[in-house]
This record gives sequence, structure tokens and C-alpha cells, in this order.
Amino acid sequence: MALEVSHVVGGYSQIPVLKDISFDVKDGELVGLIGLNGAGKSTTINHVIGLLTPHKGKISLNGVTIDQDSQAYKQQIAYIPETPVLYQELTLREHLEMTMMAYDLDQEKAWVTAHKLLKTFRLDNKLDWFPANFSKGMKQKVMIVCAFLTQAKLFIIDEPFLGLDPLAVNDLLNLIEARKKTGASILMSTHVLDTAQRYCDRFVLLHDGQVKTEGTLSELQAALPEAGESLNDIYLSMTKVDRA
Amino acid sequence: MRELFKNRLQRHLREMAKYLRLVFNDFFVFALLFFMGGLGLGYSNILKSLKPGLWWAPVVALLVLVIVAQIGRFATLIEDADRVFLLPKERAMHDYFVAARRYSQFLAQCTQVITLFILASFLSVALHWTVAKILILAVAQIVLKDSLLRLDLASAYQVTGQRRMNQWGFKWLLAIIVIASGLWVTPYVALVLALVADGAVAVWFQQHWQKQQIRWREQIKLEDNRMLGIYRFFNLFTEVPMVSGTIKRRRYLDWLFTGIKPKHSQTYLYLFSRGMVRGTDFSGLVVRLTVIGMLLLYFVRGQWLPVFLAALFIYLIGFQLLPFFQQYDDVVFTHVYPVLPEFRLKSFVKLVTLILSTAALLLWVVVVIANRQLETAGITLLVEAVEVWYLARIYTPQRLARADKNKA
Repeated sequence: MALEVSHVVGGYSQIPVLKDISFDVKDGELVGLIGLNGAGKSTTINHVIGLLTPHKGKISLNGVTIDQDSQAYKQQIAYIPETPVLYQELTLREHLEMTMMAYDLDQEKAWVTAHKLLKTFRLDNKLDWFPANFSKGMKQKVMIVCAFLTQAKLFIIDEPFLGLDPLAVNDLLNLIEARKKTGASILMSTHVLDTAQRYCDRFVLLHDGQVKTEGTLSELQAALPEAGESLNDIYLSMTKVDRA
Repeated sequence: MRELFKNRLQRHLREMAKYLRLVFNDFFVFALLFFMGGLGLGYSNILKSLKPGLWWAPVVALLVLVIVAQIGRFATLIEDADRVFLLPKERAMHDYFVAARRYSQFLAQCTQVITLFILASFLSVALHWTVAKILILAVAQIVLKDSLLRLDLASAYQVTGQRRMNQWGFKWLLAIIVIASGLWVTPYVALVLALVADGAVAVWFQQHWQKQQIRWREQIKLEDNRMLGIYRFFNLFTEVPMVSGTIKRRRYLDWLFTGIKPKHSQTYLYLFSRGMVRGTDFSGLVVRLTVIGMLLLYFVRGQWLPVFLAALFIYLIGFQLLPFFQQYDDVVFTHVYPVLPEFRLKSFVKLVTLILSTAALLLWVVVVIANRQLETAGITLLVEAVEVWYLARIYTPQRLARADKNKA
């Protein structure tokens, strides 16, 4: 069991956005976090990466919580934010080097990985540029390269498919696949449901700060038999129930 | 349209007043008085030692006057949205610009008058000028500035020839010709030349502007730059939301970082050092304060005053550096990276120590040069060393810990 979120109540202020959320991500598993705008996806992610502290409940990663040992907890996580966040004053090379330093990676080995990743995402000739001036898609690629440079056990990817070109989406999915094989877990939030349907092992459907349903696609289909075949249909019917 | 400018000007002045109140806080006024006093004393000492008939005296006067003539830009208070909302009112904008020029005129001419007032004693001592001659030169300078501002106004329109005429080369050349004729021939010639130039520009512009389009984009950019300059100045003293600072690569300074080994514990020193050097906000602040301190110390003599001033400037620099610790709090990775907060604080303390030591050393060198006294030099060095150690190692961690606690 890589990530375990149990009975988490939390949010930005005293008013909870998340109302008693529980789910888990197992080793080598890709879990899709699905929900409408404002359903609580980003809040959930912010709790997992330690930006927010839960009011109640517990989040543990391979048995460690952030309170017990923040260093060991954070060491296991690599995060790709929805909106790329960069250090304005650092070049691409320095971003990579900084990531290596922060995760205490072996520089030589890490650079081998880095060059491979840079080549894949066609950034290898931009090492001395400021990524802050890149386009949104290219910035996102920088985030991906930095994250997959680490040996993290859990990758948290917030809406990766918007802004990336189709080639990069494909490359990212391949990277995820390869990391899954080595036993890493991935928690990914997205609105691109048909891609999610094809690649995710399991889904957590969030609605209004609660876990509406969770399970594999066939489990979801069984739970909502009249909803339809695809994840898209299930998702729409789920929100419709609520609106009525 | 005139109303529009009036409204904007009122809003602008209110904003400026708000910031000026913050700028002229007790501390700054104190430092400024010292600075002015030091400069004034130095100036009067120089004047006393001058003998008339020096060949370089008119050259200095020329430089000062020509440079000051360029100070005082055309303040249009134009905003980005204007090129959409005021586009239908393009012809009527002329009244707006004229009103804007009047306001700019007032500000710029104050600068000219003050400069000439200060320069007057120099002119009378070094060149033996009479009051009448100085006054004529002052009028010439004011008329010259008027014509330069007229050119700025003309550049708001797309007149082809005007673009060339408004280039800075032309403006400098005009100023040099007018002032030089005043200094080497007679101020009367300068006055006549300035009047002719001013009149020519005025007549020519009057004939042309009605057929021309406004260069919105350029004017908006110019005004933005002007405001940014003002905000940057205020930003030295207080937080200004409009200024985010710019980043410069500064490749020639990369050697500074070679000492920082890529070790896990130095992750943030790696970031902080680059951020400090390449960001213009904090590095500019440190450089400016150090340079002002050095200038001031150069003019100050005495046993205790230099020690006190050096200590004051180190304190000012150290104090202003504190917010840099939070510079990267907005970047989520600062919280996600598996780096202990202790390492981050240690890195910051190291950076502050380095910067303050460098500044202290520079200030000390100036004190030594200015005073040439073993005792003063020794005391300054001792006081500085203790202060840097206390500010960086004790005060900074304490303050940041307290700020952290307040936030949580």
C-alpha cells in the first residue's frame, strides 16, 4: 500500500472542503482522481503533498506520515503541478541540478537520466535558457523532466494533458507506464476522461468534497449499471443525480 | 479631455503622496540630512579651493546642465486600456496631451531651477559670472527644457520627421549646442538659440498634429516605463505591488557560484545566490545602499561618525535582506522538496553573512581611504565584524523564526 488517505477532513480555512475522504493508491498502480471544478481534487492533492494539514484524518505514504518524518515522506513524492511553477532566476540546467540536490541524487547518474528525458521532450538544446520564458506546454515538460528525474515512489500529477502537444502526451504516458513497472504509484487528476479511461487502473470519483465512488472501470459500471459504458457516461450520470 | 487628465492627475498625486509619506520616514530623512550635509560641505570645500579661469570649469557646467536638461520626462498618465476606450476620441486627445505637458513642465522646470540655483555659486566662483548672466542662462535652460518637452509631445504622433527629431541623439545635440554657446560665447546667444528652437518646434508641430495618428503603443509603453521607474524607487523603501522586478541572466557573474558545491545541504544556497544575483530587486537594493554608504563615508571625517555611519548602513542592508527569505514561498516546490527547513535557514544565513561581509569590507576600505587613521580603521573594523556576526547569525534566524510563527 503506497499511499493511504483515511478519513481526511480538510481545506484552506476552517470551513472544510474535503468531508471525510478515504482512498488508497497501491504500488505500481495508476489512480485517476476525477471530479468537477471545485470538487476537491486540487485540495486533495495539496493535502497529499503536505501543503495543507488535515483537520482530521491521516495521510501516510508507505507507513510514514508527514508529521512523523517530513523528510522521509517528501523524499518519496514527485509532484507535477497543473500550472507550471518555476524559479524565475534559474536556467533549465539549474532547475535540474536543483532537483538533484534537493532529492540528494547522484549527479552523474541523474544527468544520464536527465539527458534522455530532455531528448524525449525536445528540450536538450535549451539547457541554458530561463524556462520562465517558455510557452506553457514547454514549461510543463520541464516539470515532467524534473519529476521523472527523481526516484520517487509516488508521482502526483495534476491535470497533465491540457497544454501538452499530442506527442508529449504520448511520451508522458510511456514514462508513467515504465515507472509503474518499477513499482512506483501515480495519483493523477484529470478532466480528459477518455485518456484516463484507457490508462488508469482505478478511479476515485470526487464530488462535493466526498468520494462518490471508487474502483476499476468494470466495478464502476457494475455499481451504476444504467449509467452507460464509458467513464464519461458514468461521470455525467453521477453529476446529474446530484443536480436533480 | 482636460477633465480626464485632471481626474487622473488627482488620483496619481494621491497615490504618490501615499508612497512619499512612506519614503520619507524618520530613518530616511535622517540619512538624507546626513547625506545632504556631507555633500554640501564637500561642495563648499571644493568651491573654496577653486581658482577662476580653470579650463575644465565650463565643461563640468556643460555636463551638468545637459544631463539635467534630459531629466523630467513627459508624464502622460496614459493607461493600457486607453487605446481601446479612447481610440474614438483621438482628435480630442490633443487637449489631454497639452494638459499633460503642462504638468510635466512644472515638474521638470523645478528640477532645472534647483540645479541652476546650486550651480550658480560654482559659475560665479569658477567663471566670474555676474548674477545677470547666470539668470539669463537659467532662462535659456528653462526654454530649452520647454522645447525638449515639446518634442516629447510631438513624438506622441506619427509624424515621420518627428520620430527622427525625437531621438535622444537629437535632444542631446540640441541641449549641447544651446548650453555650450551659453558657456563659451555668452548666455544671450544661448537664450536666443533656445527661443528659436522652441518656437520652431512649436510652429511646426502646430501645423502637423491634426493630420497625424497617435502612437498609442509607444506612448503607453513609455508611460509604463516611467511609472515603473517611480515604483521601483518607492520599492526601495516599501512594498509596491506593481513592481515584481526583472531577471537578468548576468552570465559574467556566474563565477560567483563556483564555490557552491552541489550538495544536498546547500540546495537553497544554490537557489538564493542565483536569485540574489540575477533578480534586480534585492541586488539593486544592496548595491545602491552600499554605493550611497561609500559615497557618504568618503566625505565624512571624524573619530566616531564614520564608525556610526558604517554600522548604520550595514544594519540597513541586513534589515532589507530579510524578506528575501520568503521570496520563493510562492513556488510550490519550496514546500515539496525533501529539504529540511534548517538547511534552508542555514543557507540563508550564509548568504546574508556573505553579502554583509562584502558590503562591510567595501565600507571599511572607504573609511580607511578617507580618514587614514589607524584608530578609526581599527574601531570600524571591529564594530563591523561584531555587527555582521550579530545581524547574520543571531538576529536574522530569530526574526525569521518569529515571522514563521506569526504566519502559522
